[in-house]
Amino acid sequence: MKIITPIKQVPETSNVKMDEETGTMVRDGVESIINPLDLYAIEAAIELKEEHGGEVIAVTMGPPSAEKAIKEAIAMGCDDGILLSGREFAGADTWATAYTLSRCIDDIGDYDLIFCGLQATDGDTAQVGPGIASFLDLPLATYVSSIEDVHIADDTTYTEPDENYIELERLLEEGYEKLRMPLPALITVVKEINFPRLPTLSGKRKARDKDVTPKNSEHIEMKEEYLGLQGSPTRVVNIDRPKVTRGGKMIDARDESKQEEAVEELINYLNANELL
Amino acid sequence: MRYNPVTEEILAELKEIVGEKNVLSEKEKIEAYSHDETPKEKYARMPEVVVKPSSTEEVQSVVKLANRELIPVTPRGAGSGLSGGAIPEHGGIVLSVENMDEVIEYDFDNMMMVLQGGVITNNVQEDLAEEGLFFAGYPMSLESCFIGGNIAENAGGGKAVKYGVTGRYVMGMEVVLPTGEVMELGGKRVKDVTGYDLKKLMIGSEGTLGIVTETTIKLLPKPTKEVALLVLFDDPDTAISTVPKIMTETGIIPTGIEFMDRRSVQASCEYLNEHLPYQDCGAMLLIEVDGAEEEQVENDYFKIGEICEENGAQEVYVADNHTTRERVWDVRRNIAEAFMVVSPEQSLEDIVVPIASIPDLIPELDKLSEKYDIQIPCYGHAGDGNLHATLVKNPEHSMEEWYEIEEKCLEDMYEVTYKLGGTISGEHGIGSKRKKYFPDAVSETELELMKKIKKAFDPNNIMNPGKIFDLD
Repeated sequence: MKIITPIKQVPETSNVKMDEETGTMVRDGVESIINPLDLYAIEAAIELKEEHGGEVIAVTMGPPSAEKAIKEAIAMGCDDGILLSGREFAGADTWATAYTLSRCIDDIGDYDLIFCGLQATDGDTAQVGPGIASFLDLPLATYVSSIEDVHIADDTTYTEPDENYIELERLLEEGYEKLRMPLPALITVVKEINFPRLPTLSGKRKARDKDVTPKNSEHIEMKEEYLGLQGSPTRVVNIDRPKVTRGGKMIDARDESKQEEAVEELINYLNANELL
Repeated sequence: MRYNPVTEEILAELKEIVGEKNVLSEKEKIEAYSHDETPKEKYARMPEVVVKPSSTEEVQSVVKLANRELIPVTPRGAGSGLSGGAIPEHGGIVLSVENMDEVIEYDFDNMMMVLQGGVITNNVQEDLAEEGLFFAGYPMSLESCFIGGNIAENAGGGKAVKYGVTGRYVMGMEVVLPTGEVMELGGKRVKDVTGYDLKKLMIGSEGTLGIVTETTIKLLPKPTKEVALLVLFDDPDTAISTVPKIMTETGIIPTGIEFMDRRSVQASCEYLNEHLPYQDCGAMLLIEVDGAEEEQVENDYFKIGEICEENGAQEVYVADNHTTRERVWDVRRNIAEAFMVVSPEQSLEDIVVPIASIPDLIPELDKLSEKYDIQIPCYGHAGDGNLHATLVKNPEHSMEEWYEIEEKCLEDMYEVTYKLGGTISGEHGIGSKRKKYFPDAVSETELELMKKIKKAFDPNNIMNPGKIFDLD
């Protein structure tokens, strides 16, 4: 079984600071990590490989430093990784990113499954996974919370269309949906699906010794006009901070002499908002 | 020693000093100040009043009043201590420094800062990170504990192998003595042998010699890269015997080497819903290295990890970013809390032995566990020889039986510890919890000298009385 996991490198967000003027994130000195939600996709892929055999290949598009994300994926248990890096990819939106990744995946070929994280923690669009499925004309299942069964015919020279399939559960707002999909297929996974493993020292050793040579549009056939900023239909016109609408109300009752007053104020407030 | 009660007149005078809202005397408000992190049922004592001064002058006035009226004063930080140090053993006044939480000066030219005793240790770190600096004290309770409490207890923690404990970074302090005088000790001088080092005497004095109102701490350049290894072993022996080898065979000083036995790991992982493959592992080591160069740190952790592999580690996990590092440290940090859920009746110990003696200590603890029919999960700072063996009550024992077992088992445990060249507390202190056992831990001459020192500082024995030792 060949599984591909497209991943993204994102800033470590536990301590993110925003630039007050531009409204963008301050990236200087911020550690880059694999998008936390992609870890669930990697784990799901590795678990399937461990059960059924085969290989897992991580794919990412980013600056040369994104090699670190590929190496981390290999340290977790992926067999190989491809880094797409080149000036022509700079400024890509979700459409151009999905196109570029789909070309790379097509170039790898012969895959059975593509696992994506639900979304990236920096952009939060959840569009790239479905976008890749669309470019590759694959069946797609999003919000997958459990994989029940994967069936691949032993004889690969000729198989009935229904013989290769995956059975899974999707998390819906009010329950679950069970699906059986023909392979190859793309699925995006949610946190409920598993508990991602930590990279091991032997994995790190493998990753250290692995040469991850960046590839670009010279190595893989791509339409130049679909790449990077010029291939991106999305335009960022303005970045605005959302107004916080859930403002709190502080009633100062620290001074004991004011406490009765404060209680009255609280009751009035709750009454006025029909909360009592 | 007989103390006087806190009368209405005294209450009025205290309110005069710190303001009405900073004097608490209602039962429900002062209950929170009656205990620390030691088991409440056994160690808690109610204060008569809690005062929360906001300045050194106010501390001074409260202490002068207490000294004049012979009322005990128990200084208190965040109450996260583990020896009863902040518990008002004899009632009286609890003096909480919680309102004294100002940073007074950042002195980056000297790589130091001056702050009040009630500043939360972790808040200091957050401010300093932006400047590329850090304070190397790293108690396990760092998110809640105060710097003043850290100094009073000379707090250790998870980075002591490389960085030492709190005392190493305390350059100076302002102290209110039990008699009410204010004294400056040390300062910003890196070297100072002008007379006795009273500052060092204050550090770890458990609030019995005075109240640290201000302190000057030394800062270090913040390491830019930290990597934690979580190493799984078949059994505690294999894990523990690896510790000295890490130190001697790699030529690397890790920031910390933490040990967790099977029971600790299981309790914590279940508590956290952590799905690491811990079921088949008999013990874990958490080893952290840091540095300024990524490549150097990588070389270091490979070397250490390989030593672990050579010594039969089941698996070596590598946590090299903030998220994964927090994940592995959470397992270590949540053990005590996890055991409170499993069984609240326990005695969290703090024994310390020379690091090379740890392998001899573990089987002795197993014997005690069998002898007294109780669980003794064991975890702690293996790289410092400091282990938090914890006596956990067997649910089948009555409370009476448990208290008897606890006392006897502790006597045995300490006996073994002494034989290995160790002692009864590495970082939690004596307080009221270990007072009974303290005379065996020191020589008679040393104990008498300590008592004389106490009397010289505190002639009326009003400052945190009933801690470490009782005066005759």
